[in-house]
Parts: sequence; structure tokens; C-alpha cells
Amino acid sequence: MNEHLRSTAVEREPAPPTPWGAADEIATYLAPRSLDAALEALRAGPVTILAGGTDLMPQSKTGRARFHPTLMNIRRIPELQGIGEASGMVRFGALATMTDLLENALVRSRFNALWQACDCFASDQLRNVATIGGNICNASPAGDTLVPLLVFDAHVVLASKADGTLATRTVPLRDFLVGPGRTSRRPDELLTAVEVPLPNERFVSAFYKAGARPALDISAISIGVGANPAAGALNDARIAFGAVAPTAIRAPRTEATLEGRLVAETIEPALKAADDEISPISDVRASAWYRRELIRNVLRGMLENVGQC
Amino acid sequence: MNDTAKTGSNGSLIGKRIPKKDAPEKASGKTRYIHDIDLPGQLHAKILRSSQVHAKIKSIDTSAAKALPGVHAVITAADLPWQRPIGVAKDHLPLKHDKVRSPRDEIAAVAADTEAIAEAALKLIKVDYEPLPAVVTAEEAMSPDAPRLHGDDLIAPGPDGKPHVVHQASHDNVAMVFQYGQGEVATGKAASDAIVEDVFKLHYVTHCCMGVSGVIAEFDASENLILYSNTQVPFLHKREFAELLGMDPGRIRIVQPPIGGGFGSKLDIYPFEPIAIYLAKITRRPVKLVFTREEEFIASPTRQPVLMKMRSGCTRDGVLTFREVETIHDNGAYTSWGATTPFVMMQTISSLYRVPHCDYRTRAIYSNNPYAGSFRGYGNLQATFAVEAHMDRLAEAIGMDPLEFRLKNAQDPGEVTPQGMHFKSCGFKDCLSVAAERSEYQEKRRANEARRNDGNPVKRGVGMASMLHVGGGAKIYPSDGCGTILKMDDFGRVTLLTGASEIGQGSETVLAQLVCEELGLPLTSVNVVNNDTDVTPWDVGVHASRTTFIAGNSAIGAARKAKDKILTAAAAKFDQPAEALDTRDQCIVEKSSGKKLVELAKFIRSLHFSDKAELVMTSYYYEPPSKHQDKQFRGDVSAAYAWATQVAEVEVDTRTGIVKLVKITGAHDVGRVLNRLGIEGQIEGGIVMGQGYALTEDLIVENGVIRNPNFRDYKLVTAPEIPEMDVVFVETMDGEGPQGAKGVGEAPAICVAAAVANAIYNATGVRITALPFTPENVYRALHSNSQPPTWVAAA
Repeated sequence: MNEHLRSTAVEREPAPPTPWGAADEIATYLAPRSLDAALEALRAGPVTILAGGTDLMPQSKTGRARFHPTLMNIRRIPELQGIGEASGMVRFGALATMTDLLENALVRSRFNALWQACDCFASDQLRNVATIGGNICNASPAGDTLVPLLVFDAHVVLASKADGTLATRTVPLRDFLVGPGRTSRRPDELLTAVEVPLPNERFVSAFYKAGARPALDISAISIGVGANPAAGALNDARIAFGAVAPTAIRAPRTEATLEGRLVAETIEPALKAADDEISPISDVRASAWYRRELIRNVLRGMLENVGQC
Repeated sequence: MNDTAKTGSNGSLIGKRIPKKDAPEKASGKTRYIHDIDLPGQLHAKILRSSQVHAKIKSIDTSAAKALPGVHAVITAADLPWQRPIGVAKDHLPLKHDKVRSPRDEIAAVAADTEAIAEAALKLIKVDYEPLPAVVTAEEAMSPDAPRLHGDDLIAPGPDGKPHVVHQASHDNVAMVFQYGQGEVATGKAASDAIVEDVFKLHYVTHCCMGVSGVIAEFDASENLILYSNTQVPFLHKREFAELLGMDPGRIRIVQPPIGGGFGSKLDIYPFEPIAIYLAKITRRPVKLVFTREEEFIASPTRQPVLMKMRSGCTRDGVLTFREVETIHDNGAYTSWGATTPFVMMQTISSLYRVPHCDYRTRAIYSNNPYAGSFRGYGNLQATFAVEAHMDRLAEAIGMDPLEFRLKNAQDPGEVTPQGMHFKSCGFKDCLSVAAERSEYQEKRRANEARRNDGNPVKRGVGMASMLHVGGGAKIYPSDGCGTILKMDDFGRVTLLTGASEIGQGSETVLAQLVCEELGLPLTSVNVVNNDTDVTPWDVGVHASRTTFIAGNSAIGAARKAKDKILTAAAAKFDQPAEALDTRDQCIVEKSSGKKLVELAKFIRSLHFSDKAELVMTSYYYEPPSKHQDKQFRGDVSAAYAWATQVAEVEVDTRTGIVKLVKITGAHDVGRVLNRLGIEGQIEGGIVMGQGYALTEDLIVENGVIRNPNFRDYKLVTAPEIPEMDVVFVETMDGEGPQGAKGVGEAPAICVAAAVANAIYNATGVRITALPFTPENVYRALHSNSQPPTWVAAA
């Protein structure tokens, strides 16, 4: 090899303060043990919130998510844990994992669509750490739990200490999701829980996710269906779609077409309404055309099934 | 260690289920991959790649990066005027100086105290580009006014230090051509009652080794180079690195830590390896360079994409008459092994079935796309996909059962094909019959066809495909041999030094097994050393499904020499002819009675600690009886050939396009099963790799840019969709093979996609000639919303 190579070696100099990486360098790591401490931290300045980390870590690696100077791990906050029911309202703590949901008897018996969504969510390893709060705040149009939660009229509970005292507000999930990766959460707020009214015992629901493989996949489309079926008709019909609009959406016109009428007679107008309500794009996972075809074909089958309940 | 396979008194090890020797280390997380190795004083390197698909490099400013504390060196092509090219056509400089031809292109490299500093330094390098029009399809590249990817001669210093043209300009973007013919196609056409023609399009996939690429380069105080490398061909690379660096090959030592997957991807030198060496030279420190997963997707080779036009004919009696094939291989920006895959494709096209007349022309065309390398199957998946589609189509055209049609044209043992391949052992017809019978292929095919229009949206289909691949080495390099050194210590234990690398295929287990079989030892008595060019004898490398066959024969040769030496000495001591003695159960015995004369270890000690001290050490070199092809591609390149038939059963959901692979029935002519557990693992793993190629894997390249460089959107097959498998071995006992075995490493991946294509046709009546069969692609084909691939007009 050539001797002149030596000249390209960098001369050693005394080290000045490191200028590199300052933009997304984490200066402070917090792991509060109370909601109050977490809300104080949020009030103090921009904070990146870490729960399961299953979205945050890959997004920060690709540069899609940038770290604020403070990284706050919320996993030790007791107020965010647990799944419980009181006076007809089921509360899912923001830290409830997909595995927690899958193993919960109430979810299994009364929230079938949610249970199915958790069942086809990523893989075992991810289900063990991914949280319901994180899935909601990530606000992916294809987020697996969002579609069933929309079917069940979920609300999110947000806590803050904007003026030094604890304040909470409850927002319908459909209003909380405002765009791809965007929610109406203020930077000083923490999503503490998801509240879902307990459906009556006759309410049936189902979830379907289409992708290239049955596990570890991001939906090309997903569909949630819920209703009280009665003699071939649907009452309280609820339809939600994932990955066919900027957010996961409810489909009110499709629901109105179906409401109270025989499925067999309303299926075609309902499919037409659904086609009008969605606005899919073409991306690396599917074309807009194929997404529309999937919504039509899969929704047809799901409605036929629920009509036979 | 739990030694589940021992030599019993009657016990042969051949055909037993033997856990891989490296399994406990891997299962317990103790294996030290290159990623786990850190040398004292080591620096970390990172590479700056192009932000452009095709552009002139106007200037590169590295001053800010060099000023960053913790940075030890920043290099560009300007620092290395003596750079020499790498690759199969020597058209590729590791660091680019004049222009970039793809987004993977290496522009600068940094060595720093940590990976984070190196990464930060990359961000401080400013490159000024002048964009050039991108050439992103072979069709564009072939048009007369297309920009030329390599329009100028590449000049680099030769061994004499003076400038030489090392790669000649390509004025038509043609990188490589192959042409082969047998018989007279016009005669074949005239004799045909049915002719079918299709254009097939085979897509980009990549190896997805679980261990990403990496290297550590170090120069010792005497300027000897030590490379910790994942290469599959250490001895060839020793020589190639020597040429590249202007060094004496004797001063290069390649050490191979265990690797996290090869599958052919590590047969070539890629820019990151010389770059790490340059940095080690400049900094006088060990330099470690390990890819990120995204980098692995972007900057490692792909399987060769192919556009193929094929025309085939047969008589109404079901005898093949001719085959005419033309291909366009998108070569990408540089030439690696992918460009040479026509050489293997040719064998399937000319010789899987008896085809009297054949015409075959291929062109590899430069573009700004990723470039392809060698990948398990080496072009054979692509060729088999087309050939087996035509076997079904021709059978249908003449109204013959597809199994009968295949049996009628299948090769027999003893056949010498017009190309010169000699099929000394050939279980092809058995493979066809056994796979068909076990899967109830004929009954299911008819039943599925009858059910095609029954209103059920989920259709069932069954499809068959077969393959031919080298199984006894492949005479591609000047030698296809392998050396072995065997030594026995005073305790009767063997150290086997072999040139053959272990890349997860299980070679060290099989080699140990073959040696134990010869010497009458338990498996725990053999230690295999196979990872250091300063220690082990020469081998051509892990490729072409050759290791069991070539290294196995070499290991057997060394073991037999050791045994001869021991028994000759024992004959003198026990006053019996050597032929009357044997080694069994770690003892020297009388062959006829089995009577134990002495413990082997004790006897070896008596040889060693005596007046005429003697160590039991032998060496052996095996070169298979195969020949180089001539310029017309005629010749018998392998000492043996492997055969297989696979039957795929699928469910096609016509509402979503989702194809579920339900079952694969495979019949494989493997010569003989040596390690049953190992061969089952090879076959099952290969089937899953073939399944990914058929159904889920798709490296999406748009305008020269890889759109899905991650495991989220590049979809490997996961555990739930792995099909039921019924694999049977057809044992033809090859006369040249070690204990009768043939190579099988590549075989199982080769015909899955072809069988699935035929199964989808059986289910739906729709013939899809483009891969992959992802849900949307299949849905489009079923609902007439796609055009079949078309031939390139400019061609």
C-alpha cells in the first residue's frame, strides 16, 4: 500500500466539547413513580414519553421520531396500570399491554373485536410490552386496537397540571385521532386510561386484518364491526376501518345504511357507502385500488356473518 | 454434552439423527459472532453512501468530519489513487471517485473511537453532486440514447504501479452475455404439435442473514493483514485481497468467526471490506465495520431479477421437441455473481428434462438498480419457475396428465445430456412418482379442477415442480478440491483440520461423523478446526452445495490414511495381516471375530513413546472427477447431480388474493442420508426460503431506491405460515459420494415457487408468470386488473 496514506490520518488535538448529535441528544432520563411527578415533568418542558417503546425505538432509529431533551419512562406509574369495570364503564389503564388485554376475561367475553385485534397484533414478544396507551398515541392509521376501540365508542382520559393543579379531560377516541401520527393530546398531557362503555350481552363484534402474513404485519386494511343483531337485522350497527384514511375511522354513513334493517337487503348500499367513506392511498403495503377491493370483499363477508348471528 | 448418537458395537453413524456440534453454543447464546469480537485498540468504521441514484461527484468536503474529536481518519477515493476494482467484472471501485451509480455507493468512510462518533462524522461530510438521468429499468438501459453506466474505461494501477485499463467501457450498457445451443431449434419446431410461449418476470429478494455483514481488519507490527471475516470463500479471497491491495497473499490471514447466515451472499468481496482494510492501514489500529440492518438491505446483494421469454414445444405424444429462451438480467450498477447465474439456469433449461433442441441467449444490462450476487440456487429458482410452468402448459395443450408428461421426458441414470452432463446416479423418476403418490397429486389435481367454479370463494390447488442441481461440486474455479489434515492425540482423540467452512449448514458435524465412521470413534472424540487460513488446508469455499461431497470425501481420505497407518503398526505388533484388523469402539479389533486386541489410545501412545517415535497425522486432498466446460458450455462440471420433486398444496382466497401454502410434499434424491437431523433441517429451511420467494418476500425497488429496507415491510415467512411438510429421501447411493451422499444445500429452495405457481393455476385457472404471489399481485391477476409481463421492445 501507498505510503502517502499516512498523511490522511487525522492529527490528534485536545478535545473540545462534543458538538455532535446535540439536536436529538437525551439530556435527562426520568422514571417517575407517581402520576403527579410525571405531570410535573410534562409541565416543565418538552418530554418524550416511553411506555412499551415498540413504536418509539424503531421510529427514533429511522429518524421519524426525534427525542426531546427529557425521556420519561412511565412504566412505573401505578395510576396507569390495570383493567377494571365499575358501573358499566370499563377502564383500561394506559399501560395495559396487549397480553394483558388478551388474558382478560372481560375483554374475551364482551369485547371480541378488541380481543381479536390483540390476538393478531405483531408477535408475542411485542404483545408483552406494547401498551394500549402507546398504540393510541402513536395514532397510526393502521393501529390495530384503534379500530375495535372506535367500534366500542372508547374515550381517552388525559391528565395534566397546566396551572399547577391536577386537571383531567375525557375525549372521544374519534376526536382524539386527528391525523397520521397526530392526536389532540397537548404536550403537557398524559394519556392515563381508555374508558369503554360495557356493551350489552347481546352485542356482537368482530375484527379482521388483511396483510401479507398472519403475524408481524401492518394492516393493508382492517375492519371492525359491532351490532346487536336481531332476526337478520342490525341494531346499533357500528363500523370502523383502519389504513384507509388519515386516521382509523368510524363509518357513520355505512352504519346509517345498515341501522335497523335486514342485512341481506342493505349489504350493497352499505358497501357503496363504505366505499364513499374511505379515502385510501397507495403505499409500499398496498395500492388504493386494492384497499378498496379488500374493504368491499371483506366487509361483505363480515356483514353476512353478523347478519346470521 | 448430551451425545445422543454413539457408535454402538453394531452401530453405524450414517443416517442417524445427530444434533449439530455447534448447537449447544448457539442455543445458549455463547457463540461469539463477529459482532461480539472487540480487539484492544479497535476503532469503529462507518460508510457514507450516496444520496443520489446517478450523479457526478463534484466535490467532497471532509474537513468538518476530520475535525470532530474522536475521529481518527476520514477517507475518500481521492486519498486512495491506487485503489483497484473489486467484483466479477472488476468494474467497481470500493470508494467512488467520479460518479455514483446507485444509492448504495460508497463515497467516504470514517474510523472513530465509537460508532456514534463515526455516525456523527458522516453527517458532517458535504458532497456536491451533479445529478445525471437515472436508468432504472433494463428497457431504458437498452435504448440507444440511454445514459451509459460505465461509458468510460476504468483505469487503475496494475501490479507494476502503472495505469492499466481494468474494465473496458460498455457503450451499450451490456455487462455480460451467455449463448448456448444444442440441436436445431427449427427442426424441433417443425416436429411440434403444441407450442407455448410466455414472458416470466422474477423479482428482487435478498438473503436476510440474521447476522448482518461485518469485518474487522488489523495489521500486525510486521504489516501482515489479519481479517476477521464472514466470507464463504476464505482461500479465494486471500488471493483476491492480495491483488486488490498489492500485497503478497502469504501476508494475509483470514479468520472466520461463526456467521449468522451466508446463503451465497458472502461469495464476493464488497466495498465495506477493503474500506475497513484501508482504514486499518491508515490508523494502524484494528478497524471494525458492522452494518446496520437498513444497510444490510441496501448494500448487500440481491437474488438476480430476470425477465425471461420462453417458448417450448412437444409432440402430441408428449415428447419435448425444443426450448427457446431469451433473458434480460437487470445487472444493477456493478457486476457481481448475479450476472453469471445464466450459467446455472442453462443446465435446467437444457437438461432437467430431455430437450433435443435448445437455444438460449442471455444479457445482463447495467442500470442504476441494486446489483445481484450469488444466492442459494444460483439462478435455478428463476429457470425452474419458467421450465415447470411450461411442463404444465404443454401437458394441458396436448391433454396429457402432467405427471405422465414429466415422467416421459425425465432424465434416467446413465444419461449424458447434449450439454455433456453425465447423470451417473439419478433418482428423478422415483422423485416424481414418490412425491405424486404421497401427495395424491393426480387425484387432487382433478378434483380441484372440477371444483374451480363451485361458488366457494376459497379455492384449493395442487402443483408439482422438479429440479436438477449440482450435487458433487462444481468445476467453476481452476480447482474444486478440499484439503484435510487429521491428527490423533495420545488419548485417541481426533483433530480434523479442514478447509471447508461452517456457515450453519452443518458441515462440521457431517465431517466429524464421516471420520468417526471410518475410525470407529464416538462423535465426541472429534474436534473440527475450520476457520483460519493460517491453520487449515486449502478449499475452494462454501458454494454449489459442495461441502459434504467434496470436504466429506477429503475427510474420509484422511481418516483412511490414519487408519492404514495404525493398522499397519498393529499388524506388526499382533502378528496378523493388517487386513484382518479393524478399529471399532475405540479399540483395535480382529475384524472377523470382533475380539478386542488393545485400546486405540493405548496403542497410539505406544507408537509415540517408543524408540521409533511416531505421531498419527495424515493429510489428504480430494479433487472431484469433473471437468471445466468448454467455450460452448459443454462439459460435466459436477461429479454428481441432485434431483428433487416437490408438490405444493395451496388455498387461494379469491376475495383477498391471499395464497396459503398448506403442504409441501418433497421427494429428494440426496444420494444417501448422512445426518438425518441435519438434512431435514436443510430441506425444511430451504422450503421456507422458497416459500418466502414465492409468497411474501419482495425487495421493492422504485427508481433505483429500495423502499422497504426493514423487516417490517420486507416480509420474511414467520412460523405460523410454515406449511406441513412431508419430505422423503430417495437414496440412489452415488458412486462418487462420501458414503453415497450428494450435495443438497441449495436443492430444497429451488422448486417451491414453481410448484406454487402450478398449484395456483390448478386452483383458479389463472396462470401467473410474475413473482411474488403477494396478496395484491394475485388478486389483480385473478380479477384481470394486471397485465402479464411483456418482453422488452428494445431487445
